[in-house]
Amino acid sequence: MRSPDIGTAALRLFTYAAMAFLFFPIIITLIVSVNPREFILPPSGFTLDWFKAAWTSETFVRAMGVSLILGIVASLVANTLALLAVLAMVRYDFKGKALINLLIMSPLLIPTTIFSLALYVYFVQLGFGGGIPALVIGHAIHVLPFAARILTASMQNFDTSLEEAARNVGAGPVRTMLSITLPVMKTGLISSFVLCFVLSWNDFPISVFLAPPGWTPLPVELFTYIKFQYDAVGAALASSLILISGIAMVVIDRMAGLRRVLRG
Amino acid sequence: MKARNAALLLAPAALALTIFVILPLMWVVRTSFNHTVDGAYMVSAFTFENYTRFLGSGWYLVNTLWFSIRVAILTTAISVLLGYPVALYIAGTRGVQRNVLMTMVLSPLLIGLVTLVYGWIVIFRGGGLLNSLMIALRVYDEPVRYMWDLKGVVILLVYIGMPYIVLSLLDSIERINPSFVEAARNVGASRWRAFWSITFPLTMPGLYAGLVIVFTLNFSAFAVPLMVGATDTQMIGLVIYREALLNNDLPFASSLSVIMIAANATILLGMSFLFGKLILNRLEAKR
Repeated sequence: MRSPDIGTAALRLFTYAAMAFLFFPIIITLIVSVNPREFILPPSGFTLDWFKAAWTSETFVRAMGVSLILGIVASLVANTLALLAVLAMVRYDFKGKALINLLIMSPLLIPTTIFSLALYVYFVQLGFGGGIPALVIGHAIHVLPFAARILTASMQNFDTSLEEAARNVGAGPVRTMLSITLPVMKTGLISSFVLCFVLSWNDFPISVFLAPPGWTPLPVELFTYIKFQYDAVGAALASSLILISGIAMVVIDRMAGLRRVLRG
Repeated sequence: MKARNAALLLAPAALALTIFVILPLMWVVRTSFNHTVDGAYMVSAFTFENYTRFLGSGWYLVNTLWFSIRVAILTTAISVLLGYPVALYIAGTRGVQRNVLMTMVLSPLLIGLVTLVYGWIVIFRGGGLLNSLMIALRVYDEPVRYMWDLKGVVILLVYIGMPYIVLSLLDSIERINPSFVEAARNVGASRWRAFWSITFPLTMPGLYAGLVIVFTLNFSAFAVPLMVGATDTQMIGLVIYREALLNNDLPFASSLSVIMIAANATILLGMSFLFGKLILNRLEAKR
C-alpha cells in the first residue's frame, strides 16, 4: 500500500474543516442552552434553567403537544397508505407501475414552497384553509415518499414462503398480515415511522402555510419567538428539537441505515 | 383477482396523492389566471394580468427572478466546491470514522431549519461569536452584518445544500470500479491525472443529480430568506410566501409559482444539455 501522501492529508484536513462548518451551529446551540451566563462564551458552568423556562412556558408546551400529535398522526397516516401501496408495488405486476411510482414519489419532486402553496390555495378555495385537517394532510403527504422508500426496501427483503406457510396452515389474508407480514417487517416499519415523525416534527415550510391559529407547531413557534426575542430560552427550545432529532437518528441508523433512507 | 388485489391496495395512496398533490397543482395553474379585486378577494376570471404584472416589471425580473437564479447558481456552486472533496474523502474511509463522518454530513438534513438557523444567528449576529473574535483579533473594528443580509442567505443555503451534494456524489464514487484507477496508476498516471481522467468523469452523473436537487431547493427557497434575509433579498419563493399569506393575493402567488417551475425546468434542461456535452466531449477526447 502507498503511504498517505500530501494529497490525502489535504483532503482529510478539508473534510474536517467542512465537518466543523456542518456541526458548529448545532454544538453552539447545545452549549448556549446549558450555559448559565447568557451567550457569554466560553461557558462558565452548567444549568438547566433555560430548559426549565422553555418547558414551563405555556406557549411552548402547547406547541410541543401540537408537534407531537401532528407528527404521530401524520406518520401513522403516511405509513398506512405507504404500506398498502408498497405491498401492491412489490408483490404484483401490473400496467402503469412506473406511473404509480412517479405519483407516490411526486411530493419529493415538487419544491416544498410550491407544494405548500398549492395545498394552501386548494384548501382556502375548498373552504377550510388553515384548518387542522389541512395541516395533518400536508404533513402526511409530504412524508409519504420517505415511508414508501423504506418500506419498499424492507418488503423486497421479505421471504414470501413464510406467508405461504401461514396460508397453508389455514390462516386468512388478514391473519397472515397481522401475525407474519407486519412482525417480520418490524424494523422497516419502526424506522419508517420514526423518520416520518422526525421530518414532520422539524418541518417549517408546510406548517407556516397551513397551521391554523392556536395550532402552531414548535418550529413555527420557535421562529416567531426568535424574531422578537433573542435569549437562551430559544437555545433551550432549539436544543430540545435537536435532542429529539438525535434520538430519532440513532434509532433509524441502527435499524435501516441513515444514508439509505435520506438519499435525495 | 390478483389485479383487483393490487388495485385495492394502491387505491388509498393513489387517491390521496391525486387529491392532495395533482389536483392542488392543477388548481394553482387555474388560480394563476384569476383576478384579485382591490388586493382583497379573488374572483374567477381568465386573465394574464398576474403574469404581465411580474414579467412586465423590470423590478421583479431583476430583483426577484434574476436575483433568485444568481443566488441559486452561486450557492449550488459553493456547495459543490465544498461537497466534492468531502465526498471523495468519505468514500475512502471505513468503519467508525466513516460512520461518524456520515452522521455529521446527514445531521443537518434531520435537524429542522429553524433550529439550524438559531445556531447560525448565535455565531453571526452583531455581537456574536464571529464578530467578537474578529474584533478581538483586530481583523476589523466594526461588527460586520452577516445575518439579515445576503451573506446570511448564501451561508445558510450552502449549509443546507452541501449534504445533498455529498450524498449524490458518494453514490457515484462508490460505483466506480477501483481497478480502473488502479490500472491508470499502474501504467504510470499520477494520482492527479488518474483522478481527472478516470474518477472525475465517472462522478458526473452523481454530480448532476446533486446539482438538480440543490439548485431546485435553493431557487425555490423561502424559509431561509424569510429567516435571515433582508429587504433586498427578495427571492421568488419569499415573494410567493408574502403574496399568499400576508397580502392574500392568491392569483399573483399562483402565477409566480408557475413562472418559478417553468424557469427551474428551463435551467435544469439547459444544465442537462451542458452536462451531456461535457461528458461526451471527454469521452470523444479519450478515443
